[in-house]
Formats: sequence, structure tokens, C-alpha cells
Amino acid sequence: MDMHSVSALSVLLLQQMCVYLVVAYVLSRTRLFIPLTRASIRWPHRITCYLIFSAFCIMGTLLGLPVVKGNAIANTPAIGAVLGGLLGGPIVGLAVGITGGIHRYSLGGSFGLAASIDIVMQGLIGGLVHRYLIKHGKTRLLFSPLLAGGLTAITIVIELGIDLTLSRPFSEALYIVSLIALPELIANSAGAAVFVEILLDRRDGIERQSRAFSAKALEIAAHVDGVLREGFDQENSMRVARIIYDQTGVGAVAITDREKILAFIGMGDDHHLPNTPITSPHTLHAINHNEVIFADGYEVPYQCSISPSCKLGSSLVIPLVGENKRVIGTIKLYEPKTKIFSTINRTLGEGIAKLLSSQILDGRYEQQKNLLLQSELKLLHAQVNPHFLFNTLNIIISVTHDDPAKARKLLTDLAVFLRKNLKRPIADVMLSDEIEHIKAYLGIQLARFADRLTVEFDIPEHLLSVHVPAFTLQPLVENAIKHGTSQMIRTGRISIRAHQDEHAIFLEVEDNAGLYNPEPKGDGLGMNIVDRRIKNRYGESSGVTVSCEPDVFTRISVRIPLEAKT
Amino acid sequence: MITALIVDDEPLARQELRRALEPAKDIQIVGECGNAIEALGRIHIDKPDVVFLDIQMPQITGIEMLGMLDPNNMPDIVFLTAYDEYAVKAFEKNAFDYLLKPVTPERLELTLQRLRNGVPQHDYDALPEASRLRQIPCFGQNVVLFLKIDEVECVESRASGIYVSDIEGKERPTDLRLNILQQRTPLLRCHRQFLVNIDLVQKMHYLESGLAEFVTRSGRVIPISRRLLPEIKARLGIL
Repeated sequence: MDMHSVSALSVLLLQQMCVYLVVAYVLSRTRLFIPLTRASIRWPHRITCYLIFSAFCIMGTLLGLPVVKGNAIANTPAIGAVLGGLLGGPIVGLAVGITGGIHRYSLGGSFGLAASIDIVMQGLIGGLVHRYLIKHGKTRLLFSPLLAGGLTAITIVIELGIDLTLSRPFSEALYIVSLIALPELIANSAGAAVFVEILLDRRDGIERQSRAFSAKALEIAAHVDGVLREGFDQENSMRVARIIYDQTGVGAVAITDREKILAFIGMGDDHHLPNTPITSPHTLHAINHNEVIFADGYEVPYQCSISPSCKLGSSLVIPLVGENKRVIGTIKLYEPKTKIFSTINRTLGEGIAKLLSSQILDGRYEQQKNLLLQSELKLLHAQVNPHFLFNTLNIIISVTHDDPAKARKLLTDLAVFLRKNLKRPIADVMLSDEIEHIKAYLGIQLARFADRLTVEFDIPEHLLSVHVPAFTLQPLVENAIKHGTSQMIRTGRISIRAHQDEHAIFLEVEDNAGLYNPEPKGDGLGMNIVDRRIKNRYGESSGVTVSCEPDVFTRISVRIPLEAKT
Repeated sequence: MITALIVDDEPLARQELRRALEPAKDIQIVGECGNAIEALGRIHIDKPDVVFLDIQMPQITGIEMLGMLDPNNMPDIVFLTAYDEYAVKAFEKNAFDYLLKPVTPERLELTLQRLRNGVPQHDYDALPEASRLRQIPCFGQNVVLFLKIDEVECVESRASGIYVSDIEGKERPTDLRLNILQQRTPLLRCHRQFLVNIDLVQKMHYLESGLAEFVTRSGRVIPISRRLLPEIKARLGIL
């Protein structure tokens, strides 16, 4: 045995091994390798596993070094076969082994048969170990470089045994084995271990990347949450742009509506000025066609449309989509000419745009709802019925002739009533304020209808100071007169009462007309708004209830819960 | 001398108009009413030349009341309103006179001038509320009774006047003529002298000689005239 040729062969084989591993490393950077980083039982993954390891198995054979006139090859197909089995299971292992075996057999030589059987054996052993580890819940060990190296070493020993058994003449077999034993042992075990190490590295890489990505996305989502819900305007856009700029680290961030730049932060903010019209053709295209535009500066040229000396070299324009898929604006990410636009930021950008779109939509909806309620409220509180107003002026003119004192009292009532009506109805008032309001109103109505109207109050003293939403009683009293007593030939009577139990205050307005119509032709608006306002604030168990006995009475009752003391 | 009636449900408003009319020596106010029901009675009895008529009044509005008056004995009408965009629009369109409360002396003078010069007869059917009656006023001794249309069984014209029968068979005289009631109510003209509430008819009898008659649920027999029979059959979908 020639020690010199053994060590030379070892070095040569290790060199070949290096080429092999470089190929593995390079491939590991591609998406192709992703399925290999998980022990998966899914068939598409197993097939990928089979194909890749078969390729490596064959490559191991091809990169081998022929010895003794090509009768044998000092080579490394064992790595592909063992790892194929170890990571893909017995079936994949066997398939890889058979594929590699057939390939080796086709190369011939006195070792041909033995070597091809070796490969099948190695695939099978890898697969069996896989099954054993899975069964015993030691999945983690599948990706242990040590285990892969050790297992490969064992299969190499078995391989050499098979070679000696099957190859003839025995003397030549013995000679060859003595020559290749050490190099194969070293190269294969080391190769398998490093290969698994590469896979581990790749897996960590993917996880690190997706962890970083998720963290970034979550961070941005948490920061921008609700900002644009308050309104898609310059101030809020500025806040959002700032967050995205800080979190993504891109060169610059802009937000536009359909016409102008709402916010711009980052490089180039000296000439990309908020509140100036959009000039970029990419942005205009994105708005008009609802398309994401990515101008990387190479395939799609990018040049700042404002300043030729602008340092920005690439831009991503993503439309913000509102109601009915209408584009309401864009969000733009930029990178300087010196930096490449990362895929992560591209994906992030699109995700952020989706998030912002839905927020803006939510915000608009909310805003409209609020506007509606506010305008209804405004309507209610400014709703001095003109018919009431002119009739009042008319009778005051009449009264001035005969009873100036009464005229003065009526004018004072009218002033109080108008002043309270013009007050913003947002705040709470004391029940006594509300009573003052309706007393002024009723003072006038009593003068108008003279002998046809009587009013009685029953409000316990201690309830006068409780707080109630402004404009709760007045609309109800107005309804009781307008749709109730003013329609009666006989004398109308209106009672205004308040009482409370342990949970709530009840305000009641009752008339003796009994003309309540659930679908009034006129405006049940006042009562509906009172009901909705109170329900909005105190919940469904509160609000207005109506009871009516036709031609006898209509009673409107408002339930206002006593607010829990905090 | 022009006789006038003031109809308004607010006493102080009536008082104010009375005061405003005081300087006009040729206007004699014969009465005041606080609702349309009273007013119908007074118009019936006093036959004023002009009625100052408020629109918004309990139960029967001023305009509804117009539909209950006999168009041939119609006083001049001056509408009163504090604020009623729709009514005012309709008055303008039909050249009906109206006053906005509070009334200015100049505007009132204009109205009085028109009244003195003689007002052409107006057709108040242009106002939907006046052209569709919900109820029929029946005049009794010092009382006006309102019969809802669905409580009316039939209306009969006799030499002594027009009589409305209710579902209980009670008869009351009304001032409204048969063809006015035919126009302003869903009652069906089945005979020169009869309107019938078709909802209360139980059967139609064919008689010999090609005549027919209605029998109501209460058993009352109402004749159908030969001339109107084809039209009624067509309307009821009888072939």
C-alpha cells in the first residue's frame, strides 16, 4: 500500500469535494433549497428532495477520481444518497439510491456493480434512520451535521465491505479499497456534515429574514394604526410618512392624494414639497390605472420629474384604493441612486398601502356617520319652526295693544327659547336648564292656544340638578303640541314628569290627544334623534318608548341610565 | 257693506285681525270661529261675503273645509297663514288671495281693494286637500256632524234636500250637492238620485226589463238607473 498515493488521493478528493460543496452553497441561496430546510411529508417537497439529492448523487460520482485504470472511482455519491434518505425518508432515499446506482452502473468498471449497490444501500440506510428519528420524536437530529457525518462514515465502511465482497479479483479489490478507504471516509463524512451545515444556515437565513420582515411590518402597522382613520389629510399623511420612513430605512417616503403631494420625508425634501401638484408620470399612471409601478432605475428608468440633480434613483408607487376601487392617492417609496431597492421594502410597501387604504376607508365611513349625526343635531337645535315663530310674533303684536306687560313676558320667553335653541346641543345640561327651555316655549304656546291648552309639571326637586343630554325634552314637548294637542277641538293637556328608580331617570311627556301615529306623515325626526342620541351614548336599554291609547293619551318616556360613578 | 267671518284657532290672532280691519268701515265682521267645524256652521247660517281663513286648524284644515262648502254658494276666501311654503305656492299659482301673519296694513289694504272690486269665482279644487273629502259634513240643529266616508252607506237626493245614510241606517241632511260629493269622494253614482258606498254593497239584483238594483249589507235596496248600468258593470268588472 502506497501511503503517498493515499494521502494524495485524499487531498484530491477533498478538492473535488470543495467544488461539490460550492455548487451546494450556491444552490442553497436559491428558492430551490427552501423545501430541503424542513422535514416535510408533503409530496411536492419530497419530489424536490428526490430531484436535488439525485443530482448531487450523480454529481458526486462524476466529480470522483478514477483509480486503477478506471475500474473504481474514489467518489462522493454517498452524500447525496444518505442525505436524500435522511431528509426525505426511506422512499426518497431508495429512489435517490436507485437513480444514483443506475448512473454509477452505467459507468462500468470492475467496481461498477458493487458501487451501484453501495449507493442504493446508502440511500436506504439514510431513509431508515430518518424513519427511526421521526418515530422517536427526534426530528431536530435530522439536521445535525454530526449525525449526518457519522452516518455517512458508517455507510462508507459498509460500502467498503460490500466492495470487497462483490468485486473480483479479490486482490485487486483489496488494493483498491486500501487506496480509497481513507479518502472516501474523510471526504464523504466531512462533505455530508458541511452540506447539512449549509442547509441549516439557509434555514436560519430565511427565518431571520422573515422574522425581521414580520417585525418591521408589525411595527409599522402598530404605529400607523388609526392615524389615517382620522382623515386623509396633510397632517396625518405626514405622520404616517414619518413612521414608514423611520421603520423601512428607505431613501424617502411620499404620500399623495389624486392631485398633490400630501407628505414627503427623506432625501430630496428640498424640492419634493408637500402641497405641490403631482408631476411624476409614474404616479399619474399609478393613479389613473390603479397599478403598482416599480421604477428600479435600470429596467424601468427613473428620473425625478422635479429636479435633474435629485439623488433619488428608484421609486415604487403603490395606489391607495378607496370606495368602489377608486384610487384616492398613492404611497411612494424611494431609494437613492447609490442603493438598490430591496425586495423586502417592495413587499412591505404594498402591504402598507393595503393597510392604509382600509384605514382611510374606515375613516371615511366613520366620518360620514358622525357628520350625519352632527348635521341632524344641528338641524334639530336650529329647528325653530317658522310657523311657530311667525305665529308668535303675530300674537305678540296683538298683545302689545291691550297688555304690554304680557307682551314683555312673551318676548322674554321667546328670547330664552331662541337662545337655548341656538346653543350647541353637544353638552349635558342640568334638568333644570331643560325645564327652563320648555317653560319658555310653553309660555308662548299657552298664549297662542289660550283656553285650549293646559300644562302641568311634576318634577321632584332633587332631580332638577341631574345631568341630562341637552335637547332631550324640548323636541318631545314640541311634538306633543304639534301632532297632539293642537289637533284637538277640546282642551289639550300636557304633563311633563320626571321620576327615577335605582338604575335610571325617566322623563315623561304625556298629552291627552292620543293621536300618535307610528309613521307620522310629518317629521318624527325630533323624537328619532333624541332616541338615537341617547341609545348611542347609554346603550340599547335606554332611549325613548311610546305608549298610546287612541284619543285618550300619548305618553313618551325617555329612560336615561344613572351613569356609573367612576 | 261687506260681511266677513274670521276663522283662526288662535284667539289672539283673531283679535289682531279684527283690530287691523277696524279702520275699514265698509267691512262688517259678523263672527269669529276657532275651528273649521264651527266655521262651516256659521258660513251655513250667516252666509258671509268673505271668510278670512287660517289654514292650520285642528282636525279639519282650512283647505279641507273649502271642499265641504257648496261651490255655488261660496264666499270669497282670504287665506291666512304664518308660514306654509307649499300652501303659499299653490295660492300663488291659482291666484288665490292670502295674507301672511303678522299682516302689514298695506298688504291688508290691497286685499280689501280686491274684495271691494268683486272677486271672480275661484275653483278651489286645484288644492288637493279641498278636492278630496275625508268626511262629509252633515248639518243638524245647531250642530255639524262629520261622517267619515267609510261610514257612509249611501247618499240620496230628494225634493227636500240631500240626505246621507250611515251604516246604521241613520239619515242626515247635508248641504253638499250630489255631483259635488260624487266628485270629491269615492262614492259611486248609481242613479240620478243616489250615490252608494260600493264597499258596503252585498249583492246586485237583476230585475225584469233589464233593470238592476244594489242591496247593501244592511238590506237597503238602492236602484241602478238603466243609463248608468253598463258603466257600473264595467267598473265592477261584471260582464
